[in-house]
Amino acid sequence: MEKQEVYDQFKQLEGQIQEVLAQFTDLQAEMTQVFEQNAELEIENQHLRDLLRELQRDLPEAPETPQGLSKSRQILEKLYEEGFHVCREFYGTRRKQDEECAFCLEVIYRDQ
Amino acid sequence: MKFSINRAAFIKELNNVSRAISSKTTIPILTGIKIVASDAGLLLTGSNADISIESLIRADDPDIGLTIDEPGAIVLTARFFSEIVKRLPEQTMTVTVKDAFQTEITSGSAAFNINGQDANNYPHLPEVDAADSVVLSGAVFKELISQTVIAVSNQESRPILTGVHFVLADNQFLAVATDSHRLSQRQIELPTPSSAAFDVIIPGKSLTELSRMIGDDDSDVKMQFSENQVLFLLGDTSFYSRLLEGNYPDTSRLIPKDASTTVEFEAPELLAAVERASLLSHESRNNVVKLTLTPADNQVTIFSNSPDVGNVEEALDPKEITGDDLEISFNPDYMKDALRSFGQTTIRVAFTSALRPFTLVPTEDTSNFIQLITPVRTF
Ligand SMILES: [Zn+2]
Repeated sequence: MEKQEVYDQFKQLEGQIQEVLAQFTDLQAEMTQVFEQNAELEIENQHLRDLLRELQRDLPEAPETPQGLSKSRQILEKLYEEGFHVCREFYGTRRKQDEECAFCLEVIYRDQ
Repeated sequence: MKFSINRAAFIKELNNVSRAISSKTTIPILTGIKIVASDAGLLLTGSNADISIESLIRADDPDIGLTIDEPGAIVLTARFFSEIVKRLPEQTMTVTVKDAFQTEITSGSAAFNINGQDANNYPHLPEVDAADSVVLSGAVFKELISQTVIAVSNQESRPILTGVHFVLADNQFLAVATDSHRLSQRQIELPTPSSAAFDVIIPGKSLTELSRMIGDDDSDVKMQFSENQVLFLLGDTSFYSRLLEGNYPDTSRLIPKDASTTVEFEAPELLAAVERASLLSHESRNNVVKLTLTPADNQVTIFSNSPDVGNVEEALDPKEITGDDLEISFNPDYMKDALRSFGQTTIRVAFTSALRPFTLVPTEDTSNFIQLITPVRTF
């Protein structure tokens, strides 16, 4: 192969790799966004349920687990364990390196 | 402008003001120290984006040997100026500003000529209102800072939590900080009744810097505010810091009201045991120690384990223990910070459950100082 040809191929390959990398980064960002949005929606849903229950006081409270968590609190606990903040402060964002969050725990376990 | 001064006294104030001066500022004139000579004495100013420090060296203080020959003002590059002053040969030195801000510094037979800048171009420090102010002894204030800044967040992505939240209401002065993993709260009833009230967030870094300037002579510290600045007055030194904007989260709800297990320890003894256990936890990926409490048998054990190195188990000696059995894991570094802040005292640790934050308070005063730590979930 001519040297020039080798250089050209390298150049071409480099361009392709960069393009793939850019796509990869975009996809990753999009995925994170979708996950965070999903978490946000679940929390929003939870808030709406709470509000609904408050508005219709006679509606029975959801069944409780042995630990005393209502159905809706369980959902928040599950989300937290999946690695998302469920607190007002960091709402729907990822818990970096599984950091524990006192605000989240208050939302999940506070006395009813 | 022309003045002569005792070098040692000058260096001391120069060092204080230099704390606020950074060579990495985006505003070139702030790499300088501003010196204003007047009949009252010398006013030195240093500043960066976050803090400003202003110190007055009084002409009537005989120990300082200050003579003002000609009033005036100049800004000199702090880095050169400090180095020069520190290396001058004699006990006294003279500074003379000549044409075009050329400044001559002489001591004995050494003479430096350096370029200065027009002091009129130096930014003005904010006007601060004396209306809502708090006066505390230096020692108390220093303690309050050291007890709360440990819990400040160092993540710039959470700007509000990088500060300490100060609230004054009904004569109660409250300082609280949390990085969401732990929380530290100190409350002080003001010695003299005050109708002042405020609610502000002061950057933790500013407080650390301030605390280094509070001397051991325990003179008072006065704290007052403007729209977006706080001013601390320490004798002839004024320390300004910007305030953090925004609302601090409601932290009172984070502190559990009831406990299902409580245990009392001598803080230094528990600290020593946690330090031993953390020797191994630090070798493990998740840095966790586990506490097992069995009140019926008056037993508390601390345990830590590193898959690569080995494990450690130690039976502790609680002074008092009541409530339910409990097994709880936590980051020992948070525990160490919290325990160090108590010093030589007995503390009460109160747990609600393995999943919820627990608290530490000194037994001699259970309501004015509280540390909270969030446990680590282990599965
Ligand atoms: Zn959270």
